[in-house]
Amino acid sequence: MIVQGVAIVVALVWSLAPVYWMVATSFKTELEAARLDPTLWPHAATSENYRNLWGGSLPFASFFANTAIACLATAVLAVAIATPAAYALSRGGFRLRGAVGHAILLFRMLPLVVLLAPLYLLLLHARLLDSSVGLVVGFTTFGLPFAVWMLKTFIDAVPIEVEEAARIDGYPRWQILARVVVPLILPGLVTTGTFVFMEAWNNLIYPLTFVTTLEKQTLPAALVLTFTGQFKTDWGGMMAAATLTTLPLMIAFFAVQRSLIRGLTSGAVAGA
Amino acid sequence: MASICLRHVQKRYDDVHALSDCNLDIANHEFMVLVGPSGSGKTTLLRIIAGLEHVTSGELRFDGARVDDVDVADRDIAMVFQNYGLYPHMSVYDNMAFGLRRRKMAAAEIERHVRRTAKMLDIESLLHRRPRQLSGGQRQRVALGRAIVRDPAVFLLDEPLSNLDAHLRVQMRAEILKVHRAVTATAVYVTHDQVEALTMGDRIAVMNEGRIHQVGTPGELYDAPVDQFVASFIGTPAMGFIACRVHRSPESVELSTGSVRVRLGDAHANALRRSDADTAIVGIRPERLTVASEREALTAEVAVRGTVEAVEMFGAEQYVHVRTDGGSITARVSRDRPIRVDETLTLAASARDLHLFDHATRAALR
Repeated sequence: MIVQGVAIVVALVWSLAPVYWMVATSFKTELEAARLDPTLWPHAATSENYRNLWGGSLPFASFFANTAIACLATAVLAVAIATPAAYALSRGGFRLRGAVGHAILLFRMLPLVVLLAPLYLLLLHARLLDSSVGLVVGFTTFGLPFAVWMLKTFIDAVPIEVEEAARIDGYPRWQILARVVVPLILPGLVTTGTFVFMEAWNNLIYPLTFVTTLEKQTLPAALVLTFTGQFKTDWGGMMAAATLTTLPLMIAFFAVQRSLIRGLTSGAVAGA
Repeated sequence: MASICLRHVQKRYDDVHALSDCNLDIANHEFMVLVGPSGSGKTTLLRIIAGLEHVTSGELRFDGARVDDVDVADRDIAMVFQNYGLYPHMSVYDNMAFGLRRRKMAAAEIERHVRRTAKMLDIESLLHRRPRQLSGGQRQRVALGRAIVRDPAVFLLDEPLSNLDAHLRVQMRAEILKVHRAVTATAVYVTHDQVEALTMGDRIAVMNEGRIHQVGTPGELYDAPVDQFVASFIGTPAMGFIACRVHRSPESVELSTGSVRVRLGDAHANALRRSDADTAIVGIRPERLTVASEREALTAEVAVRGTVEAVEMFGAEQYVHVRTDGGSITARVSRDRPIRVDETLTLAASARDLHLFDHATRAALR
């Protein structure tokens, strides 16, 4: 019991300490944040860093909007493409179903950076570099395999009799998907979309590579590009921006955490 | 309303023969029951009729026209699934209206159909509810309603009562028969429960290991089973069997084991003469056996002597399981005579109540 308690405390401190440090630093003055003997909490708490974000010279609101639009579009696009794909993998009677499914999963195993060069070339030729559309294409490429597999587990859980009843009622496949399956996996669609959204939101390397104009950047990339300078780093400002960057993710995660866990474990237990 | 005809229907999944050479004719408005143990192929056969599975070879006809390649949607069938298969996200009303909407029926017409069917099944008060808000029996009624609201030509039921408790099952059996009488559809009903089959079917097809063993009225199956499988599957408690050696001489045919003495009737004797079986299996229905005294056994046409293995109490009567040297046999007898386990018991029966089967082929000897 004691060992378990200690383990939980260690895990909590381990994972929450950086978050605490981020939030605490965001309320410190520039001087306090840069001290060589760091303070555990802000001695003279200030909201200056947050005020500077909105009123300062940097287009923070644009960064926020760029990220939100690109990530939302990615989530919607990935779910829209993944749903029929997952349905085909779950219910399709085609010969290479297993192989195709595993190929998609294999694609997911590739490190993010491996796709960077080919994606860059594709976007270059499609004239989509330095644009939101290009970013959405990049994010979706990486998010799609996961979305397909996650949605497949939700579709697998829909009783086949329900679909067969709709076939007997006279509906063609695509209408069964739209009118019977999609309403039944709605929590799965939201969960998958949220997961893809969070993953895109956290993506640093794609915006840094595909977007060259600062005004078009996403939040994580802007954090790196704007708050670190050659001679000084504005730690307080960076942490305030990081806190605001993290906030939508935390809200999104808490909104869907239950169905996210169910989605990730469904199929593991009979009747789950 | 449609007649259904299956000719030489085979279904294979890779190396597994799910159905082998199935032939079946189902008449217009008939209530046909497919009965058999799990894995016998009855549900596969039903799904082939529905169009949810395709035949590997053979023909399926509705009213004489080939439908093997006709899509499910165009077969004019309705189906009730074992797990109901209701649309969980729709109200009872929408569940029933879903198929009618596909047929582009006017909303007022749909409402008239749904309400009429709901009234027939006594589910009018449930129309606004979702399936999860219904009990098992209510869900079953809704599933029935959804099937009959479309007035299909063929009405398929896949073990529809297996998820209900015993009391509700009896009630729903009567309900389904009432519904079948009220509609014009031909019904095909799958069950593993032979009591359901005997009480509901106009005719019954008994299946095992992908083959149809016998098709007939409940009475025909009970009185004249074509093989040992049908004999053992139909009837509760099941028919008992005792293996006996066959002795043929120019003058007579006799069956013998140490524990069984049979005075064969002419029909059975002739059947044994016609066959070349060395061993025959004697089958006797439990209710045809009576407990006999030593004196009564001497004059009985069939006398079986054995040791009581178990006694099951069923209110006014008891099932007595008796072990003989040729196999075990069950007798359904009155509780007037107390019977103890391990006691030696003599049972008697009339020769005309015997069923004889070839030991090698298991086919009835007639």
